[in-house]
Amino acid sequence: MMALVIGGSGSGKSSYAEELAVSLSSPAAKKYYLATMQVFGREGEQRVERHRALRRGKGFLTIEQPTEIQKAVGCMEEGERVALLECISNLTANEMFQQPEAKPGAQAAEQVIQGVGLLGKETAHLVVVSNNVFEDGICYDPATMEYIRAMGRINRALAQAADYVVEVVAGIPVVLKQGLNWKGQA
Amino acid sequence: MKLVIGGYAQGKLEYVFSKYKLQEPVALDGAWPEPGSLQGKQLVVNHFHQWVKSRISEGGCPEEEISGLLDAYGDCIIICDEVGNGIVPAGSAEREYRERVGRILILLAQRAEEVERVICGIGQKIK
Repeated sequence: MMALVIGGSGSGKSSYAEELAVSLSSPAAKKYYLATMQVFGREGEQRVERHRALRRGKGFLTIEQPTEIQKAVGCMEEGERVALLECISNLTANEMFQQPEAKPGAQAAEQVIQGVGLLGKETAHLVVVSNNVFEDGICYDPATMEYIRAMGRINRALAQAADYVVEVVAGIPVVLKQGLNWKGQA
Repeated sequence: MKLVIGGYAQGKLEYVFSKYKLQEPVALDGAWPEPGSLQGKQLVVNHFHQWVKSRISEGGCPEEEISGLLDAYGDCIIICDEVGNGIVPAGSAEREYRERVGRILILLAQRAEEVERVICGIGQKIK
């Protein structure tokens, strides 16, 4: 089962996604948190710490995987796996802009879509967090616009593959898609 | 308290006026009333995000202040732009502002009896 959780900054998407991943996990399941953010400076550390505090006591094992997300499977044990991938916006930025393997947007988008697809096959449940970066109406430099288009492409592909798509608004889940097979929370 | 959110220029204030048929509302722009000035009239706080922005720039703590304001004005209608649905800004002050508006909206939404999101002048009740 795959769920896509989107939202803007400070929308409460992380906290909702974590609850969702926990609620999908059977007692026997191993829970993995796939962290994609590369930490720079104090603000980055504070952000990581806030997210760690949210997850504390929920039994997630953290795998740091800033690019090539499918490789996280190599760090997982056999058996029932539930993975929470946070988040597509960092992963995509890393694929596009991180040297020496920076890629054009279209190629980065394919890499992310395929990587998440493989993860989906290797896990019992996958919860993917993505970001709504589309509505600030600002015309950015060409590289950033290419990034926004790559994010749009990825979100659409993941939403199509997902059993459940939800937008978190002011902490409130607004369901956009709920497939027939979806057995998680509404 | 009722919370109405949505993007810029989506007709949120107009929506509130027409939906709630407010008689002599007191609509304030990014501000809260002087004590005792409401005299039983319906309070609408428009552009709530601007209040958050100014409290941050004045070194205040809007997360804490809002709780007392809601105790005092429990029947108000709060209108706020959604500001977090964009590229995370490069500047730390702007980044902090968006993040804090978002987190305060979560607090407001938890306390609100009703949350509506306005798009193209149309309200969607999400709580």
